[in-house]
Parts: sequence; structure tokens; C-alpha cells
Amino acid sequence: MIPAGSLLSAVGLRKSYGPTRALDDADFSVHPGEVVAVMGPSGSGKSTLLHCLAGIVRPDAGTVTYDGHRLTDLPDAERSALRRGEFGFVFQFGQLVPELTCVENAALPLRLAGLRRKEAEAKALHWLERLDVADARDQRPGEVSGGQGQRVAVARALVTSPRVIFADEPTGALDSLNGERVMELLTAAARETRAAVVLVTHESRVAAYSDREVIVRDGTVRDMAGVL
Amino acid sequence: MTKRKPGAGGAEQGRPTGPRGPARWIRDLCLGARYAVAGGREGLLRTALTAVGVGLGVALLLLVASVPSALADRHARETARSVGVTGEFRDPAEPDARRGPDTLLYQEVRTDFHDKPVTGGLLAPDGPDAPRPPGVDRLPEPGEMVVSPALAALLASDRGALLRDRFAAYRTVGTIGHAGLVGPDELLYYAGSDRIGPATGAKRVDRFGYDEPDVPMSPVLVVLTVLACVVLLTPVAVFIGTSVRFGGAGRDRRLAALRLIGADLRMVRRIAAGEALTGAVLGLGVGAAVFLALREYARDLTIRDTGIFPSDVMPTPWMLALIVVAVPACAVGVTLFTLRGVAVEPLGVVRGTAPRRRRLWWRLLVPALGAVLLTPALGRASGRLPGMPGLPVDTWQVATGAALLLLGVTALLPWGVEAFVARLRGGPPSWQLAVRRLQLKSGPAARAVSGITVAVAGAIAVQMVFTGVRGEFDTSPEALATHSQLTGSYAVGSPRQVHDWVDRLRRTEGVRAASGHVERYVGKDGAPNTVTSVLVGDCATLAELADIGSCRDGDVFLGRSDDPGHADAFGPGTKVVAEPYTEGPARPYRWTVPESARVVRTRPGPTGEHPDGVLATPGAVDAAALPDARTRLSVRTEPGDPDAIERVRNTAAGIDPALRIDRRGGVVKDDNYPLVHRGLLLGAGGMLALIGAGLLVTTLEQLRERRRMLAALVAVGTPRRTLAWSVLWQTAIPVLLGMAIAVAGGLGLGWAVLRLTGARGADWWAFLPVAGAGVGLIGLVTLATLPVLLRMTRPEGLRTE
Repeated sequence: MIPAGSLLSAVGLRKSYGPTRALDDADFSVHPGEVVAVMGPSGSGKSTLLHCLAGIVRPDAGTVTYDGHRLTDLPDAERSALRRGEFGFVFQFGQLVPELTCVENAALPLRLAGLRRKEAEAKALHWLERLDVADARDQRPGEVSGGQGQRVAVARALVTSPRVIFADEPTGALDSLNGERVMELLTAAARETRAAVVLVTHESRVAAYSDREVIVRDGTVRDMAGVL
Repeated sequence: MTKRKPGAGGAEQGRPTGPRGPARWIRDLCLGARYAVAGGREGLLRTALTAVGVGLGVALLLLVASVPSALADRHARETARSVGVTGEFRDPAEPDARRGPDTLLYQEVRTDFHDKPVTGGLLAPDGPDAPRPPGVDRLPEPGEMVVSPALAALLASDRGALLRDRFAAYRTVGTIGHAGLVGPDELLYYAGSDRIGPATGAKRVDRFGYDEPDVPMSPVLVVLTVLACVVLLTPVAVFIGTSVRFGGAGRDRRLAALRLIGADLRMVRRIAAGEALTGAVLGLGVGAAVFLALREYARDLTIRDTGIFPSDVMPTPWMLALIVVAVPACAVGVTLFTLRGVAVEPLGVVRGTAPRRRRLWWRLLVPALGAVLLTPALGRASGRLPGMPGLPVDTWQVATGAALLLLGVTALLPWGVEAFVARLRGGPPSWQLAVRRLQLKSGPAARAVSGITVAVAGAIAVQMVFTGVRGEFDTSPEALATHSQLTGSYAVGSPRQVHDWVDRLRRTEGVRAASGHVERYVGKDGAPNTVTSVLVGDCATLAELADIGSCRDGDVFLGRSDDPGHADAFGPGTKVVAEPYTEGPARPYRWTVPESARVVRTRPGPTGEHPDGVLATPGAVDAAALPDARTRLSVRTEPGDPDAIERVRNTAAGIDPALRIDRRGGVVKDDNYPLVHRGLLLGAGGMLALIGAGLLVTTLEQLRERRRMLAALVAVGTPRRTLAWSVLWQTAIPVLLGMAIAVAGGLGLGWAVLRLTGARGADWWAFLPVAGAGVGLIGLVTLATLPVLLRMTRPEGLRTE
């Protein structure tokens, strides 16, 4: 059953990779402006859950509903359009295009949405400034530090003013100081724009920035609200 | 006690010491070899790609290296069966062997069957020890023949039914072996004869295997051949160089891991060399296998109407040794050269961060040096430079010049791509992704297309030169050749016999008209350079040649066509003489055109020619006394009956096997031109396929390296078509630039060669087919990468577990 008022929800998700069952009747929901941490050990199905919620991967069974639309029924092109316009993504690594400068990377979703280059880069620069990486605007990802690169990725995720931000181990490749800085900026910006955040992590320190935590274990999701 | 290095820690004491000197080299090379074959699926795939890439290059090298020996083997067998020239074109200065028990009379006879030559030798042994042609176990008796396997098969087939009639007089008693054949599909026979003699053009020989002087290749052809070789081999070298770089990123990561556990830089280089060496050695094996498989198709390639024996396609030992040594050495060299640009450190691989600015001066110097070397060589080829008329071409100079010129194109390309893409701005995201990628790192893209650039430039130049000079070697326009006009020539024949022969030809099915006469060129007595033809035939024959009106034996006519000035020099009372062409018993024939000779208008013969000259009946001119007179036959067949020509040939063979019937107006060409042209087309096709394969593998490897990023881009909503377009732009920009340089370079080189060789005309559109093929290849490569791109951009690529 879809919880009332939820922006994004999943019911009875099943997903297998060959003989490995990644999700097994998993349910999930997130409300506007809510930050939900998805925790669990390696290989438990956290990332698969995120990919299914974001429409990146189609589940074998179950439904994902976003803002009243059944995501699982949409064709690939519409899901891609949704990801471009409504969702934002931050991954652990490998997400920035190494050939593009930081500002071009951050502006890429807007360019893909059809915005003119100057306009797109002006908006991207605004976010780079807010995330304290405007100095790196003309540098390429290989020329900036890991923390700066991750903040560029956050800027890229926020530049389209998404309603949901998916963050998969966003601080996994950073030291604790840089990790905290990235999390502070990400959650603050999300709360300011009332964007929901689905935060996949296995670090309690990172999960502490969330409003609610769920645990994924053996493909099932357990809500930790009230467990303590 | 071992002296310790200063600064060495105490921990070194008791540490196991590895092998030293060559043993260390061997250990590291072996370690590299192990990494090449034991790196899991990815490692094996990488090694397999290298082996296949190098193998394809090696196969092409082996094929090219086999060309000289294949031609030499053919030539050797051709020489081994030669008896020199027989028949009409014998050299009078060449004496026959003296008759003895070990001699035979030999006369070469030729016919054609559906435009394929059927060569024969008529043999009449003088004694029991007469020599046998190579590949023949027993000399055929009169009425017998031995045939090549291809001729035997043709005679036994339905297709050869008409040819069987031609050989009806002979019984096949054996097959000619490999030693006596130039190629596997050669149509050759030796037949016993008791009708040949010196009068028919036969020659007495005491052995087979006369040395025939080689006809030197035209210098222009030498230039073309050298250019073609450079065009073919340069991309092979580039391709082999590209192949050994497959999976370079993965190898660098592995080397970094080795550095982490204590390998020094030299060791890392040796290990990398061992890995490259393994791929190259495996490539040699693959190349040998591909070569052996491909050479079986040699029998389908025809050189001078005959295929090639696959066993002839084998490089000379020193060529083979050169390839076996040079290819692995090249692989190791390229690997070490690429490692020069990166610093393999324990924590990863750092590429040269400060981008080196590509300099133009030396890139221009290379083609300029080539031009400097080519100019005098090409001048010599055309004989246009003062004091050097037609000197033989210095092959090495031409080869070096052409190679430098074409390699200059390769050198210019990276600079051109870099300079061009640096100026590109704006555009949609797909364009931006591609351009940024090229701006950051255009080297691999330029390298990948440099092979095709050289190939296209060279092929355009060769094609242009080829079409330009080709016309000069055609002695008559093809348009004159009609399938229904035939001519025959025969050494002997009295007017009576000729009359009978013409009658037999006329009765042949499919013949519309036929005529024949005995003909001899005669000179004006005292003015030997003033010549005309004397045509001898009975009144009936002459009446077909001209409007002679009444005629009796002994009459003479002065035949003229519409050209009133013709034959005026040979009016009544003119003394004419026919000198023998060769020294011997024949005597000059002197004769005076009688006062009674009448001027008559000639008619066009069956082949359209007017038989102008002196037309004489046998009572006026004794044809038998005319030295070296020839019987000329002209036949016109029904145009819609393609088999008629074969039936005419059958009739001619029934008259005498030495009577050869040819199509009239067949184009006479330098035989080597089709050979060079065919070689060029075949080579260009193989090379384009090779380059395409290299380009495909390079593009796929780039995609594989960027798999995670591509998946992330798709995850954030990037349409796949944007990525597909970016891949297309990324390939198309350097390729189009390369093609532009190649077209300019190729046309320039072709124009220069044409100008220097003094050939007429230039086909400025010669670049279209090759350039079109190159662009088509890019399209194919891009299309071929799309399925992989789609697979790489699946969101599953984001998974790490």
C-alpha cells in the first residue's frame, strides 16, 4: 500500500541478477523534503533499490510510483526524461565526464534538457558558488580534489532543481572532513528546495544527516523508525 | 662479504636476492608473458585482440612478401619449358639445334576459348632421346596429346563441348604435371605432330629451358608498384602498432600494482615488454594460420590469364626471418615508447600531465624530404631531366621518398586534428562531449585514423597516376573491338588452298562472311621505304576484295579505296621487290607491275578494312615464290551468336592447329598494368578491412574504459542517442580531417608524379571511390560500435558488486 503523501514509493519490489536475488518483496517510500538513509551491508541490495526507485533498472516485480505515476510502466525514454528533469544523482565515483570542465559537467543536465549553453552554465555556476567550488569551474575533474569533484557532482544533481535526489555512497571515496562537508551542503540544499533525498550508505555517520533510516538486508527493507 | 650500498637499511640483510643480468631479463619477460595469458577473462581478451590484430597485419605482410617469390617461381617454370620464340616472330639470328637423336621439332600454337588462351606445343621428335617438356612423362605420338589438369577438366565438362571439337584429332594420353605449369588453371597441351617443319614456323630444339630475356618493367610502373607497396605496408605497420596498445589502460593499472609491491621502473618496462612480446608472438602464429588459409585463394587470382599455385605463395626465407624478428621487435618498441609518456607509480598511473605542444616543423620536414627524394627519381623515370634519358629508377630512393611523403601525412594528422579541434566551440551536448574529448586527448583518435589516411592518400595517388598513364599503354581503343570481327594469320597457303579454307570458314555455322588471300608487303625497287601490299588470290577472291569487273588469271589490279592518293606510287611499270625477312635459302622476289594493271575501287572486307594495294591473280604473281608471305583471313560472324567464334576456331584448327583466329581490334596493353591495378585494389580492400578492424577495436576499447561514466550519464537521464552521436562525432571529426589531408596529399602526389612522368591528363575525381570507401568504413565502424555502446550504457554498468 502506498503511504499517504509520499512523493516516491515502491511496493513489493523483486529483482534478481541471475541466481542472486537482490530485492525480495521490498517496500519503500519518501516524502517531499524528507531525507531517508538506506543502510545495509555490502551486497544487501541497497544500490539495486536505489536504481529501481530512480527508474534506472526495471524491477522483475512490484511497482514504483512517483508523484502518482507508475514509474515501472513508463518506457525508457520517459523514464530518462524524468531522471533528467525531476531527479538528481550523486554517485560514489565515475560520474563526472573527465573531458568537460567542472562548470560544463554541472551544466550538463540543463544542456541535455535543451537550455542554451550560457544560460545553463550560469545556473551551474550559481550552484558551484553555493557549494564553494566556483574556483574550479574551468578545471577538469582530474585536476581537482576528490572533495571538490564530489561537490561538483552535488551541484550537477541540484542544478535542475530536482524533486528527488538519489545519492549512492556520496562520501564513499572521501575523507571524513570532506565527507561531512559534502553531506552538509547536500542536505541543506535539499531541505531548502524541499527535495526528497534517498541516501544509500553503510556509514552511520553519514546516515545521521537523514530524517529516517531504513535497513536493507537480504533484499528486504526494514524501516528503523521507532526501532530504537 | 658483500659490500652493501650506502643507505641500504639493515632489513636488506638476509633478503633473498633475485637473478641478475640476462636471467633477470628472462624472469621479467616470462612474468609479462604470464600476465598476458593469465589475466583472467579480460586479460585473455586483451591478448587475443592483440594477437588477432598483429596476426592480421602479419598475414598481410606475409602475403606481400610472397609476391616476389610467387612471381619468381612462376617465371622459373615458364622459363623451364621455353624453347624461345617459334612461328612468325622467330628471331632469324637464333640458329636451330642440329638434327639428332636428342632433338625435336617444336611449334607453339595458340588458340582461345571464350577469351581464355589455350596454349599448345606441337612436338615431332627426331629420335628416341628427344627432350621432354617439364611435367611430361612421355612424348605424345602424332594424334595424341597430353593436357594440363584444367584443360582436361574443361574438355570433360559440358562447358568445353565446343573445345572438344577442336581437339577431336587428338587422344588424351596423359596429364602435364605441376613442374610444367605456370598456374593451376592454365589451359596447356602438348600434341604429337608429323606435319610441322621449318616452313610452318617450327623450331628444332635439343632441350627445354631457354633463357628468355626479362622484359624490363616500365619505370613508371616501378614507381607505381613502389607507391602501392608503401600504401599497403604503412597502414600495416600503423595497425600492428595500434594492436599492441590494446588494453593499455588495464596493463598500466597492473604495472602500478607491481610497483606497489616493489617492482622498479626497469622491471616494469621489462614486464610490459614481455607482455607485448607474448601478444606479438601469438600474433605471428595467428598471422601464419590466416596466411595459410588465405593463400588457398591464390588460385582465384589471375596474372596474365592464369591463377597462382597456392604453394608458390611463400615468402623467401630472409623475408620470413625479417617478419618474424621485426614484428615482435616493433611490438616491444611501441610498448616501451608508449610507456615513455606515463609514469607508472605505486599508487597509480600518471599520464604526462603537461600536454606537449605538437610542433609543426618536423612534421612538415618529413613530407618535404620525401618530395626532395622523389623529384629526381621521377624525373629519371620519365627521362625528362636533361642528360638522363630513361635511366632505370632507383627503387630504394622512390620507396624512401614515397614512404616519407605518405608518413608525413601521418605525422601531420595529429597536429592537424589538435589544431582543428582546439578551435571548435559550442554545439549540442553530443558535439560538446566529442569535441572536449578530442581537445583533451586527440592522440589516440588521430593514431587510429592515421593508417586509413596514409592508405587513402596513397591509393588516391596511385589511382590517379594509374588512370593518367594507362591510356599510353593502350595501342588501340577498346571501341574498335567487336565480337563479330575475326582475323586469322597463317604462315603458308597457296591461293587455291586459301580459296578452300575460306569456303570451309563460310560453311561454318554462325559465319556471315569470310575472305582470304595471300599477302606480302613489297617495297619499290630502289626505294625500299615506299611499301604497299601485294594481295594474291584467284579471280573469285579478288572480286570480293574490289570491283574488278572482268578477270582472267594473269590479271593485275591496283586497288584503291576512297583515298585517291593511295597506291599511286605503285602504278603500272613500277618495279617492286620482296626481300626475305630472314637469312636463309629464300630469295628476293622481283616483279614489275604490268602496264595492263587497272585501277579498281576496293570494298571493305568482313572486318571493314579496305584491301588497298596491288591485287594480283596467281598467274601474275607466284605466291609460293613470295618469301615470308602470309595467308590473311577475315571472318565476320553473326553478332548474336557468341559461340560462332569458337566454331570458327574449330574450323581453323581443322585446317591447321597453327592457324590462329583472333578477335579484331583487341586492345593491346602492357600486361603489367592489370596486374598492378588488381594488386592495388586487392591490397586496398584488405588494408581497409584491416584499418576498419583496428578502428573498431580502438573505439570499443575506449567505450569499455568509459563504461562506468557512460552508465552514470545514462542514469542521470542522458539519452543514448546523445552518446551515440558523441561517439560518431568523436570518430568522424578526425576521420574527416584525415580524409581531407589524404585527399589533398593524394591528389598532390598523384599530380606531381603525373607531371613528372609526362603522362597526359589527370583524373581529378580519382579520390571519390577510395574516399567514399573510407567514409563508408567509418559509418560501418560506428554502426558496429552501437550495440556495444547500448550494452555499455545499461544502468547495470553502475553496479559494483
